[in-house]
Amino acid sequence: MSEWGWVAFAYGVAYGSLAVYATSIAIRIRNARKSIGDAE
Amino acid sequence: MEPQVRIRRWPWVVIALSLAVAFTLSMISPADSVQGDLVRIMYVHVPSAWLAYTAFFVTFVGSVAYLVTKNLKWDRIAAASAEIGVYFTGLALSLGMIWAKPTWGVWWTWDARLTFTFIMFFVYLGYLALRRTTDDPIARASRSSVLGVLGAIQIPLVHFSVVWWRTLHQPPSLIKPDGPAIQDPLMLTALIIGVIAFTVVYVALMVKRIELIHLDERRLQIEQSIERPVAGEAVTAPELGAT
Repeated sequence: MSEWGWVAFAYGVAYGSLAVYATSIAIRIRNARKSIGDAE
Repeated sequence: MEPQVRIRRWPWVVIALSLAVAFTLSMISPADSVQGDLVRIMYVHVPSAWLAYTAFFVTFVGSVAYLVTKNLKWDRIAAASAEIGVYFTGLALSLGMIWAKPTWGVWWTWDARLTFTFIMFFVYLGYLALRRTTDDPIARASRSSVLGVLGAIQIPLVHFSVVWWRTLHQPPSLIKPDGPAIQDPLMLTALIIGVIAFTVVYVALMVKRIELIHLDERRLQIEQSIERPVAGEAVTAPELGAT
């Protein structure tokens, strides 16, 4: 793999996993708000 | 009735802007004379490792503050920071492996820095698992705070492992007694801005993660307050002597 290939791999892991982690927090917040709304 | 949990939208905007700035600078900085373009991996690996330390240090501070004050606010901060710290430690390890393969020729080696970081990752995974052993907030906070304090011993161990032992891993890039190891001003700027941008991302994630903890507590409170029939309540006693 070329140097830029390794760089793309690393940045894909870094920025991709950050996007997934941030999305997981957003989804958990939405689900928690929904269940609170359902209960109230 | 408890006040409603305030939901903020600005952290998402801040995260996107910070990452955009860090990405742009890391792409326009020059290639290294030895490593070539592979040096760009440093602009995501070093900030991730820095945030692993920072997050676990915040967990340590939150744990100590909880043990002293018994205020659950500190336990929420410690818990939120530990989860984000585990994420950034995992990311630093993954990026380190990706950087190691083309530069060292191997994905992994049992070097002091790598080994201590690997152990730290599992200790804080244990911290998160410990928090799931009970729903009682006081018991959870007390147990996890002790581990939050003890686990922090690893932070200096990981950081100074490259100084105390002969290792394959390079010495610290920024925090050194004789100044940063990087001489090129644009490379140094890209690295410092990368560290600042990732730190801002950490703060924004903390805000959202603490919101989630408040919401989970509220959900549990509501679930526990809903009246449920006691087991056997619906069973009526037979009338004795009835024909």
